[in-house]
Amino acid sequence: MPLDVQGTFVSQKINKIRWIAEDYVETKCFFTGSWDDDVNSVKVWTLESPHEEEEIEYPRQLSEYPVEGDVTQIKFTEKNKIAVSLSNGDVKVLEVSVYDKQSPLREIFHWKKMHNYGEQKCSCTSLDTLEGDIATIGEDGNVHILSGRRGEIMRTISGADSCSLHSICFIKHSEVITGNLRGHMKIWDLRSTENKPAASFLLAGDELAATCIINHPTQPHIVLAGSESGSLAVWDLRMNTFPTSLVNAHTAGVSEMQFHPENPHMLLTCSVSGELWDWNMEAMTKSSKDQNNQVTWMPLEDKKSMMVNSVIPPLSKAINTLHCDKGRILCGADNEAIYLVKNFKY
Amino acid sequence: MNTSNFGLEPLRGKASAPAKTFILPDKCVSKHFGCAWGQGNKFTIYPRSQTVNKSTPKALDNRLFNVRQDVLLFTPILRKLVNESNGTFLSLQKAAEASKTNDNQVEFLKLSRQFRSIIRVCTEGLQEAASKEEDGLAKNSLQSYITIFYSIECIWHLCEILFIDNIPGDIVLPYLLEWVRFHFPCHEQTAAGLLEACERGSEENAEYWDTVVGMVVQGRVDVARALLKLHSAGESNEFKLVDNSLRSMPVYSVYGGISTGEFTISWKHWQAECRSKLSSRVLASQPNLELIMRIIIGDYTAFESIRSKYSSWFDILGGWVLFTAPWSRRHELGAAAAACAGMAPAPRSHLDDMVRALLEGDLHQVIHEVQQISDNGWFATHLTDILYHCGKLKVLDKHQTNVTSRLRDSLILEYGSLLMEHKSLWSVGLSYLASCPPEGPRRAELLLERMPVETEAKAMRVIAEAKKHGLTSVVSSVSRCVCARAQAGGRLGGALCWAARALVAGAARAARACLTQYAARAALPAQDLLLTAGSAMLLSDTLLFLGKYCDFHRLYKSREFKKAGQLLVSLITSKIAPDYFWETLLLDTLPLLESDEPVFTSNDTYEIMLCLELRSSSLEGEKADLMRLALARNLARTSLAEGDGTDEGGQ
Repeated sequence: MPLDVQGTFVSQKINKIRWIAEDYVETKCFFTGSWDDDVNSVKVWTLESPHEEEEIEYPRQLSEYPVEGDVTQIKFTEKNKIAVSLSNGDVKVLEVSVYDKQSPLREIFHWKKMHNYGEQKCSCTSLDTLEGDIATIGEDGNVHILSGRRGEIMRTISGADSCSLHSICFIKHSEVITGNLRGHMKIWDLRSTENKPAASFLLAGDELAATCIINHPTQPHIVLAGSESGSLAVWDLRMNTFPTSLVNAHTAGVSEMQFHPENPHMLLTCSVSGELWDWNMEAMTKSSKDQNNQVTWMPLEDKKSMMVNSVIPPLSKAINTLHCDKGRILCGADNEAIYLVKNFKY
Repeated sequence: MNTSNFGLEPLRGKASAPAKTFILPDKCVSKHFGCAWGQGNKFTIYPRSQTVNKSTPKALDNRLFNVRQDVLLFTPILRKLVNESNGTFLSLQKAAEASKTNDNQVEFLKLSRQFRSIIRVCTEGLQEAASKEEDGLAKNSLQSYITIFYSIECIWHLCEILFIDNIPGDIVLPYLLEWVRFHFPCHEQTAAGLLEACERGSEENAEYWDTVVGMVVQGRVDVARALLKLHSAGESNEFKLVDNSLRSMPVYSVYGGISTGEFTISWKHWQAECRSKLSSRVLASQPNLELIMRIIIGDYTAFESIRSKYSSWFDILGGWVLFTAPWSRRHELGAAAAACAGMAPAPRSHLDDMVRALLEGDLHQVIHEVQQISDNGWFATHLTDILYHCGKLKVLDKHQTNVTSRLRDSLILEYGSLLMEHKSLWSVGLSYLASCPPEGPRRAELLLERMPVETEAKAMRVIAEAKKHGLTSVVSSVSRCVCARAQAGGRLGGALCWAARALVAGAARAARACLTQYAARAALPAQDLLLTAGSAMLLSDTLLFLGKYCDFHRLYKSREFKKAGQLLVSLITSKIAPDYFWETLLLDTLPLLESDEPVFTSNDTYEIMLCLELRSSSLEGEKADLMRLALARNLARTSLAEGDGTDEGGQ
């Protein structure tokens, strides 16, 4: 079947979008988090065909949970629980009922002013989750590790960075990597009591922010970061300090990346320039050992033959978020619309 | 601050008066009050006492009133329209750019249809919302929005037919009939119901004759004939006569292979035949059939007699053109409109005026009328823009100069500025402003600079949008603003970082703040940043100095005293250090002078001594003495060591 793209206008700029995973059946419902509006909210949606016989599905809003400030990140801590970071510095854990998605979201935990400048408000810019643990970062340059199960603060790295942090990713249970406004990346060992990074390196020479970080689903030592300039960097943490590849990709900031859950060679990226691309990362993440037992990477000249496709025609406004589930991709954009891409080949 | 929003009731009265009066609730402000403009169409009223020495009146609660324009387009349902139409608007600008090199009428038509479908979707959304709404007042306002967008679509469609579409041979009739059928579907359901039942004797239905006449007037001759056959007397001679006349009506088609002249002749012939049938009085027993015959010969009195059955004259416009002048071209419809509109003394509605102006081809008047629609200029802006790009719009001012592009620009600027007021729709507004240089980008700069930027994420997005449209001054002013805020909050790392983005003197200020903080508290802020900073360090001397000084600290901490010493001496001798920092800088030499291994050479020591004496004012007496002592001792031991004939001596 051909690729099918369908946009729905929702009257709010969408900053984050997430499928709600289902057992045994196709996903139908998803979360959205809005930003840059007078009142922002986390909403639950379902896909419905208004007329039985029609193939077209439209999103319909099931519930709305208004929040203070912008929604800056949504990540799952458990199957039906999400951790939400807000631009007023709060972090919340919300639960959606498994049986009745229409019922309002339930607040499980609420950390008020997790990030702050004393009395002043400070944005909690992002968070990442790993098996119930939540790592949050803010413009104040602090990192907090929270327990999404018990609702307590497990560790705080204060002054982790002298300027604001913009992206974070769990590498493993005891290690997180953060990226700041200048593209300065730091790896933190959560077991050590010192507030000093275990390693640090720069994303690129242009001193622009690291907007998102993810690690490879099957090779956890490979870390990817997207930059505000639109370029994409890949590191092998076994030999960090320099990115193994740095590719100029989008014309403006990379806003979110995701490896396809079913195909670890496929990467999806979206950008502030309104593009949604899929990448074949097989060559870029594959390393081989040469005769001296040295790890070698794809030679530079091969990068030209990298497979990158545009999934949808570029929008005139930024695409802030994407989430992929099998052959279907959801995108949220600054033109106050949600896009659903169906029949995507992976 | 006590602010409140309240509904303002416009005083009903002369609708045409340019000024409107609003009454503030209660006696909230005393005689004296001031007023200050906010961003966009907003202002605040505040009490202001002009009698200074008297004590403030007691009954007055000092309240502030924020007064703002209630913008229809900011309601959630209509925000969809705003965003969706923005996409089409931008494609239109691209198409217009492309059409400079090749003809692009088809593309324009496609985009015009897209606009209409957006309006339609919006109307449907409003209808759905209205059907769900329980509150009477809200329902009423939704209903009025529906009316507004309904008439917008109607006008747009007619505009599309008359000015955007490329009609073969300019014969507008089929399109006009389609427009009438689409927007004024009268009797359609009855006709369908009757045909479906397909029973003889359908005239029992009270609406039978109205329906038949309606179908004839809409130009659906086939349907009318089918309906006539359902009459119980359908087989009679009178019916056969009318059926025959309807069947034999010539229909013009550009591709039919006959010229307009030929067609006109056969058409006139046919009508003359019909007229003779009518005057032979064979239909006298069937007044309804007689009416149909009178309609098809284009008899004015016949149309006049059925006019009262319709709510507006648009319904019969198609029929009138069809039976009086089917060869009419686009610019020949004015007379038909005048004839139809004059059939009944109905009060002129706004829609009437717009349609009349359109049919007369007076686009200037159309746009003037369209601007009266209370949709915050959405329609006027988009319609003017598309007509302008199609090259159909020619507006002359009273001096006969062409002001078309100025009209288009001013509408877009107005609409764009309006959207910039909204917290979320600013980016949409920006894309409108950016599409009409040079005035638009300049306005955008002023508006963007004044936009509240609460988080860095927003700042980054504003900067990205500004960069996209080449507004470099906004990039630096927003960065400067975030930088200043970070510095005011004591977040020097953030301040340095944003200063580097602003690429201006802000960097020097932030660097100075870092140095003073170090001089006061002995902890150097933002070390992680300074040690990794690249070319940004070259922005200002102070920043460069700060970076180097930070590097000195790093070397000192890692016990590389030789290198640290060299760096320190170069910092001292370069004389770029700010005055207030000399004390710190000179005192930093002390531990190195006193170290076990000599760090400074004799030459270095001389340099430091020179600087110390030149800047004796920056050090207090005791500290200066201590320095002199340490310098003298270091000079002594280095001179000795160098005197031994080691390599250093020669330097």
